[in-house]
Amino acid sequence: MKIGIDLGSRKVKFAVVENGSLIRLEACDTLGFYKQFGRLVDEELTFDLAATGMFAESELADPSIVVTGYGRNTLNYKGARVISEIRAHVAGAKFQTGLKDFTLLDLGGQDTKVAMVSNGRLADFMMNDKCAASSGRYLETMATILEVTLDELSSHWEDPVPLDSTCGIFGESELIGQILRGYPIGRLCAGVNQTLVKRVLPMLKRFPSPNLVLTGGVALDKALVKLLELGSCQPVIVPEQPQHNGAIGCAVIEFIRD
Amino acid sequence: MKRVGFTTTIPIEIIVAAGKLPVDLNNLFITGGRGGQLIEMAELEGFPRNICGWIKGIYAAALESGIKEIVAVTEGDCSNTRALMEVLSLRGITAIPFAFPGDRSPESLRLEIEKLMEHFGVGWEAVNRSRQRLERIRLKVREIDRLTWQENLVTGEENHYYQVATSDMNGNIDGFEAELDEFLDKIRIRKPLRDRLRLAYIGVPPIIEGLYPFLESKGARVVFNETQRQFSMPYGISDLVEQYRSYTYPYDIFTRLADIAIELEKRRVDAVVHYVQSFCFRQIEDMVIRQTLRLPVLTLEGDKPASVDARTGIRIESFLEMVEENS
Repeated sequence: MKIGIDLGSRKVKFAVVENGSLIRLEACDTLGFYKQFGRLVDEELTFDLAATGMFAESELADPSIVVTGYGRNTLNYKGARVISEIRAHVAGAKFQTGLKDFTLLDLGGQDTKVAMVSNGRLADFMMNDKCAASSGRYLETMATILEVTLDELSSHWEDPVPLDSTCGIFGESELIGQILRGYPIGRLCAGVNQTLVKRVLPMLKRFPSPNLVLTGGVALDKALVKLLELGSCQPVIVPEQPQHNGAIGCAVIEFIRD
Repeated sequence: MKRVGFTTTIPIEIIVAAGKLPVDLNNLFITGGRGGQLIEMAELEGFPRNICGWIKGIYAAALESGIKEIVAVTEGDCSNTRALMEVLSLRGITAIPFAFPGDRSPESLRLEIEKLMEHFGVGWEAVNRSRQRLERIRLKVREIDRLTWQENLVTGEENHYYQVATSDMNGNIDGFEAELDEFLDKIRIRKPLRDRLRLAYIGVPPIIEGLYPFLESKGARVVFNETQRQFSMPYGISDLVEQYRSYTYPYDIFTRLADIAIELEKRRVDAVVHYVQSFCFRQIEDMVIRQTLRLPVLTLEGDKPASVDARTGIRIESFLEMVEENS
């Protein structure tokens, strides 16, 4: 039994794989997971997976665990193999799409990753560095200000109101200004989605490929996908489980060949 | 001995010939162990947050050191230095401008050098004597660099330190030479280092601490420090004007790239780390570097003095993993 774990900034994602086939997926909030089930033993991070109630006894009998995520280079994970996020996401995207040549855009809670995969191998990549304004957290913050759900936010792409702040926090006051100008909520939601697309397009431009694969929680935002297709002038491929892509990549890393 | 500060490498042979002590304000700022505090000091005085950390660090370090005279490089480095000169002059520091001519013309550079000589009241004979004195030290540093890439006896950080220190000879010429002799004796009996990957570090020296040991803990050693090597002037040229024309750092990116290309080949480098300072014009040059170099390039950005943060760590690890898998 292979268990892949992606320790994301907002959610911890799990993928269970047996004989190269995906059995099931799980997820829970990161903070709660660390607080309830995580502890340090001899400077190594351990999780009490049995206590989570998410796994059957047989799944945890002799599991092969592969972990990725934000904390990976500051902590060791006891009894598990730790791999880089880029590697996990590329493996997940290869497994989920069956493609060998593609540009992967992963938009997570804090991270933006762009990876170019040629002939099954990672050829180059970029990650956001000093700023997380092009990540899922931006969408969450803006949805809160607009008092809409993420579902509502992700249903508007037409006629976006321009929002130009470089900084996600200044973006809040800019958005409030636009609300006062009386723009309809739909156009403001579209503006928020468009802003994120504009921030990632320069990164995508660095790695042109006929196949653009979008993963991460943000891939669930259908309006953003539409705007990304318009902005990049190409179809966007969203795998079946975009949010669990990293966890799936961890679980299948041994089966994935170049 | 009276100290003369400077904002980036200048012909220190002139300052030495004038019987004064050259002090690289960058080194003063970064080696004091209080880099973060110095930047805060400058910001409290009104320096914007979105201005290069080195400029702020130099400002505060110059004031704190009590140095009364500095040479400011107004052409060949960033334009922030001009404003830095102005604010330092308000605080009673005399700033002498020095320009590396953009076209690398020997006539213009000679004029600049002679202007500086005139300011410090020295002639060519004295300057050439100090050039010979410093060349002896430069040769030893060159040997440390050779032992780094050819014999694998020197770590990336040691290579960085000894080369970067040549910008002002650590403010103590004889003491620095003794330190070099001691180090050379020590390393010759070392066992060669074994690395899985050989890296080049290009761009300005890092404001990030612990970068080289971090890379080495991942099996990758820097065998070429581009700018630091330039500071050491490893050209073996006996004409001072030509020496500072060969120095690539203050000139255009293509001059730098020509030097980089030769060294990457010679030193059998696997991948390149391009360090850029936040808010620096050299971030734009990253585009040219990526388009020109054939090796994988990881661009790292640093703002203030701090150790390698988790995010930078993740990016480095992923990059090295990719290079190793593809090689």
